[in-house]
Amino acid sequence: MFCYQCEQTNKLAGLAGCTVAPGTCGKDETTADLQDLLIHQAKGIAQYAHRARALGVVDKDLDAFLLYALFTTLTNVNFHIPRFQQLIQEAAKRRDAIRDRYIEAATARGIPPETLFGPADFQPAEGLEQLLAQALHVSVRAGEASVGADVVGLRALILYGMKGVAAYAHHARVLGYQDDEVDAGVEAMLDYLAQDPTDIEDLLEHALGVGHLNLRVMELLDAANTGSFGAQEISSVRITPVKGKAILVSGHDLHDLQLILEQTQDQGIHIYTHGEMLPAHAYPELKRYPHLTGHWGGAWQDQQREFADFPGPIVVTSNCIIEPGRSYKNRLFTTGPVGWPGVRHLEHGNFAPVIQAAKAMPGFTADADTEKRLTIGFGRHTLLGVADKVVDAVKNGDISHFFLVGGCDGAASTRHYFTDVAARAPRDSVVMTLGCGKFRFNKEEFGDIGGIPRLLDMGQCNDAHSAIQVASALASAFQCGVNDLPLSYMVSWFEQKATAVLLSLLALGIKGIYWGPTWPGYMTPHLVQEFQSRFELKLISDAQSDLRAELA
Amino acid sequence: MANHEITAHTRDGQALSFVCGEDENLLGAAERQNIFLPSQCRKGSCGACVAKVRMGTYEIGAVHSELLHPRERAEGHVLLCRTTPHSSLALDLPYDHAFVRRQRVPERWAEILSLKTVAPGTRHLLLALDEDDLYGRAADFEPGQYMEIGVPGTTDRRAYSLANVTNWEGHLEFVIQQRPAGLFSRYLESAKVGDRLSVKGPLGVFTLQEHGLHPRWFIGGGTGVVPLLSMLRRMAEWGESHPAHLYFGAHDAESLFFTSVLRELQGELPQLQVKYCVSTVETRGEHQGNILDTLAADLKSAGTSPDLYLCGSPRLVQGARACALTHGVAPERIYAERFTSA
Repeated sequence: MFCYQCEQTNKLAGLAGCTVAPGTCGKDETTADLQDLLIHQAKGIAQYAHRARALGVVDKDLDAFLLYALFTTLTNVNFHIPRFQQLIQEAAKRRDAIRDRYIEAATARGIPPETLFGPADFQPAEGLEQLLAQALHVSVRAGEASVGADVVGLRALILYGMKGVAAYAHHARVLGYQDDEVDAGVEAMLDYLAQDPTDIEDLLEHALGVGHLNLRVMELLDAANTGSFGAQEISSVRITPVKGKAILVSGHDLHDLQLILEQTQDQGIHIYTHGEMLPAHAYPELKRYPHLTGHWGGAWQDQQREFADFPGPIVVTSNCIIEPGRSYKNRLFTTGPVGWPGVRHLEHGNFAPVIQAAKAMPGFTADADTEKRLTIGFGRHTLLGVADKVVDAVKNGDISHFFLVGGCDGAASTRHYFTDVAARAPRDSVVMTLGCGKFRFNKEEFGDIGGIPRLLDMGQCNDAHSAIQVASALASAFQCGVNDLPLSYMVSWFEQKATAVLLSLLALGIKGIYWGPTWPGYMTPHLVQEFQSRFELKLISDAQSDLRAELA
Repeated sequence: MANHEITAHTRDGQALSFVCGEDENLLGAAERQNIFLPSQCRKGSCGACVAKVRMGTYEIGAVHSELLHPRERAEGHVLLCRTTPHSSLALDLPYDHAFVRRQRVPERWAEILSLKTVAPGTRHLLLALDEDDLYGRAADFEPGQYMEIGVPGTTDRRAYSLANVTNWEGHLEFVIQQRPAGLFSRYLESAKVGDRLSVKGPLGVFTLQEHGLHPRWFIGGGTGVVPLLSMLRRMAEWGESHPAHLYFGAHDAESLFFTSVLRELQGELPQLQVKYCVSTVETRGEHQGNILDTLAADLKSAGTSPDLYLCGSPRLVQGARACALTHGVAPERIYAERFTSA
């Protein structure tokens, strides 16, 4: 077993990476190895799909499978060995099918079809033990002895960025938003990785290519969310429970949430969001359901306590899932790419078992003593709607600076940095948040500047697209580049969607981003130097020093 | 009286600690400190609180020899309810930390929904839990666990394995072998639909191991097949794809029960193979012979070593374990629960 895709990876043994099962996330060796195999197969599928597309053969169902397969291997998504065995066998069949279509199309055009090797040629074994033996040869660090850690690190950066791309594209797709340019980009990038590239400059260029691809994907997901549910609007969300039966919905999948809301209408069940599902309360087509009652809990790493305390069933629609406690495992359900052994998985959007569980369980037996609320919904539509007011506030000197404090949360105590940044930011500055890192401080009182709240939540991590739009609009208003704005980026990372977002920000030419709490395990000292010199990427230090530097 | 530091490690490597005096047993001392370790009879006759002492000196009281073989005692196995420390102890607990409770086991009330005879002297009992503030109607348990049912008119309880899976209707399903002198058996003779019973649980750590993909072989004698049925039903409901064998042992063919239930289950779990093993030649008919002989023959020809789940009399469990070890099944892949008469 070897995995270093997330921030939480083991850093105690010299080389960063989880080498002993279970990994820090709870992933066992078999799951880790099967995920490596599935990634290898995804590259093989892409080798043929990329060439088939050039001949006019497009298989959208296959592209959906690629996104789904990559998504299952994201941190804290799927730990279910039988699911990976099934996916591996399915991937082999799909690869054979696209290979045949490619050969047929090439032959029909009188072009000699290429004979492809590597992942394209991979045949998975039938038995588990044989599969695990095969996995030894396709680890993320395969070939490091001959090509070096820098090359392997950049390949990993591209692969992990692509996992983030796949997750966002999958969320858009389940809402009916698909884009050929994105599908082609995914195929091309995986095909590139299948060639085991070794040129550092070329790898760096492709890493930024992932960033560009992710910009298009975030735009697509933004269109999917706003097209399906309307533009986010300023909304007040109850964060204390009310008496009654209850269902908790965690993860990022707004489509699943809408299905649950639809299927529980007029049944006396309150629906609560958890973690990254918080921004759902700002979308008009979701908040119109009167039983979308409130939000429960904070970021993903606290779920074992928060789920145990919730008196109803819980649905996890995407990352992050961590080992379920005995007290709530039987009322936990997964959907989509998510899986955990012994936890019921729901398919085809049928939430009847969840509703049955909600009706059988006691729910909240009384209203909370005190009603508490959060204000959210400062997506790009909201902020751009008051752009004139914001620009005036900057010109008048009422707003001196903006801080984008975005990204994932995690258990590490060093992440307190992001709380400190928000708390110590000057009173005449505005803090914009996205992702689940905000739960560390979003219940604090930040006040406002001339009616503009000092804490503006822009949404889920994919709403980085909104942040980019706002930054571009501000730059346009001030007739300067985005790097010249009084805007600082303090980005926390945990999993691979944050990797994709970082690559997008770098691809846009944004410099001086503060990144943390640690460098990724796959970033060698040399790669860190490269990123520091090319993009002025900085590792977070302490909030006071970083704020002083940014405000200087 | 000296207090000794007791450190215990669960199977998944988590540590817990408590102190225990020389005038109390380990199980009671842990509970005094709100650590509720899996247990049942608390008098050394069921084996539910077995653990292994890795370090330290102790004294162990009277224990039924079927529950703790002299060889096991020599290796440091103890029953926590019968063990008193003479020094600090380091213990290994044969279950995951999730099975250690910090609160008392729930006690609820239930009503008899149906009571049927499914084989001579074997009753099928279906209960419906009352709704309460803490649990609602939910019957929340792991497949393989058991409940203690209060015997009406007495302060005694009897433990029976659950045959169904966790559910939202509050149903608890049992199959009970009636014994002539059994306290609960005598109650069942006059029990009727609508009777109310107190139930305590879920209890027990004999549960399905959810990680891994090894084939699962289930070996049950008589009503020892009940918790195995719960595990198989769980596999069917969750759509688990592990290859599965069930060996259902009985003294005679008439004692077999739930054959139609198992046929239906095979419809939902196509990979399930069921072998009925009947000891008495006269009634064997088309069934297999002695369950241990059948198991030995299949283990010999098995391509992949399975995970084994054993439940039944101490004799059956010991025999099946010895058979499995002989055929190369790793000890840590054998999960067992022994039934004793109540």
